[in-house]
Amino acid sequence: MTPKLKLFILILASLIAAAACPFFGLSHISPESLTIPDHPDAEVFWRLRAPRAAAAFLAGAGLSMSGLIFQALFRNPLATPFTLGVSSGASLGASVYFWLGGIVLVRTGSLGPLASALAGAGLSMFLVWSVTRARGGFSTSVMLLAGVVINFFFSSLVLFVQYLSDSHDSLRIMHWLMGSLAGLETARLADLAFVVLFGGLIVSLMAKEIDLLTAGEELAASRGVQVKLLKLKIFLVASIMVGAVVSLSGPIGFVGLMAPHACRLMLGWSHRLLVPATFFAGGAFLTLCDLASRLVLAPAEVPIGIVTALLGGPFFLWILFRAGSDGDLF
Amino acid sequence: MTAASSKTVLSVQGLSYSIGAAQILVDVDFSAEEGGFVSVVGPNGAGKSTLLRCLMRLPERGRTRGRVEAAGRPLEQYSQKELARLISYVPQAGGWIPPFTVGEFVLLSRFPYATAVSSLAESDRRAAERALELTGLTALAKRPLKNLSGGERQKAFLAAALAQEAQVMLLDEPASFLDPRHAAELAGLLRALNREEGLTMIMVTHDLNHPLRAGGHALVLAEGRRRYFGPVEGLLEGSVLEEAFRHNFVRLDHPNGLGRVILPE
Repeated sequence: MTPKLKLFILILASLIAAAACPFFGLSHISPESLTIPDHPDAEVFWRLRAPRAAAAFLAGAGLSMSGLIFQALFRNPLATPFTLGVSSGASLGASVYFWLGGIVLVRTGSLGPLASALAGAGLSMFLVWSVTRARGGFSTSVMLLAGVVINFFFSSLVLFVQYLSDSHDSLRIMHWLMGSLAGLETARLADLAFVVLFGGLIVSLMAKEIDLLTAGEELAASRGVQVKLLKLKIFLVASIMVGAVVSLSGPIGFVGLMAPHACRLMLGWSHRLLVPATFFAGGAFLTLCDLASRLVLAPAEVPIGIVTALLGGPFFLWILFRAGSDGDLF
Repeated sequence: MTAASSKTVLSVQGLSYSIGAAQILVDVDFSAEEGGFVSVVGPNGAGKSTLLRCLMRLPERGRTRGRVEAAGRPLEQYSQKELARLISYVPQAGGWIPPFTVGEFVLLSRFPYATAVSSLAESDRRAAERALELTGLTALAKRPLKNLSGGERQKAFLAAALAQEAQVMLLDEPASFLDPRHAAELAGLLRALNREEGLTMIMVTHDLNHPLRAGGHALVLAEGRRRYFGPVEGLLEGSVLEEAFRHNFVRLDHPNGLGRVILPE
């Protein structure tokens, strides 16, 4: 089977899986009911479940594409929005917004959490980047350690902000931190769609350059890639995508680790295939996780971040142990 | 030498490079003719690799001064892609191994001819196939780079640079991790590419006999300064190498009539 055919099958399977999700839930909806005018199930489907599935899909697509980018950028399969501290940075930004929103009533509409999450994501990436760079080169261990440290530090700051907030805001922050797609505004869905689709388009236009970057920075430069500019561009695109997703759904971990890794195992290393593959596979994966979060303890909902973490933790370990066998992470 | 063959393709005047207070290169002058072979030799830390990297505009830090002209045009006027169409680069072996197959890796070198939306053209495939043929790697095209032996991998890096179809090729100690047989094989391949394909080669090497076999010019660097630039035969006379390496060398006649050889004392 050629990689292109595999990609086609992957996209098709992802779309079918994601499209099926809204039919399942506390009560299952039959496809026929959608064709009946004013059927209450149709209302539930179009008003609640379809937008939520779309949000999960877009969030998953954004997170897994940014994971793919970070892994190419750092040439390390463990580089993800989560391990690099970007998620916790975005969380801090958003928590500060909720907290300030409580006391000084910041009125910035839907852009408020987005902008503050973005600022937080940017700050943490900048810190990890500078620390790793200051030690010379891009050492795997330094980068992961820097990510862990920033993660801890920002998570503590989030707790501090939570401590400072009143009980209402504190609860809001806590719920948000667990990662959830419940209670999502349709207007925000459009913001997310714009960021993720636009980001995906930009990244796919740079696929060849990202391939060369994976081969090594100097090698890429000697093949005509403007390496500094490229790194800045994809770094910004990935951080903005993470910021956008996190501001909407809270920090959902491990999607950016699992989806790109699975896609690489299946398709190899060409980013012309990997970018669309991670978009669809990541999207479908998170949509399925969201379905699981609605079904496992129904009628109660498990925060989606918990579902992905339960799957992602063992997966992370599997990569580490697998890497240990030949001493090579990729 | 005819007028056509002595056309200068790369000229370097007063090239200096420093990082902070550390002077890596000081006022280096040399030039390479079309189809010429310039071997760069010198002790460790002489700035040989840095010189190549400066010619490819690779250093991100540090300060570069001096004038470098490629095909009669100042280096800084080239876009990165234009430069890659004129000069290709074979990095030092032994670093990061790209996660691609040989074929994929060689095709990546066609980037200087690509646009963001273009797919691979027939000319790209032909260039890649020819590069694999020239290096004898056609049968290994589908093998991942990391599953190759050191010698094969070094040839894959060479093939990738060849696929760039650039007139000038910079090579940084291509044989440093190879056993004598593979080193000799690679050296023979490089000489053939120089003579038969007319590639201009600028190669950093630790093998002092390689310049003698390849012919052309030698550039001797020590402590970032040029100690000698001229025909390779110059290495056989005087004390150029002795001064550069601070070590004595003997020059012998090869018993099989392969010319002179240089051996460290």
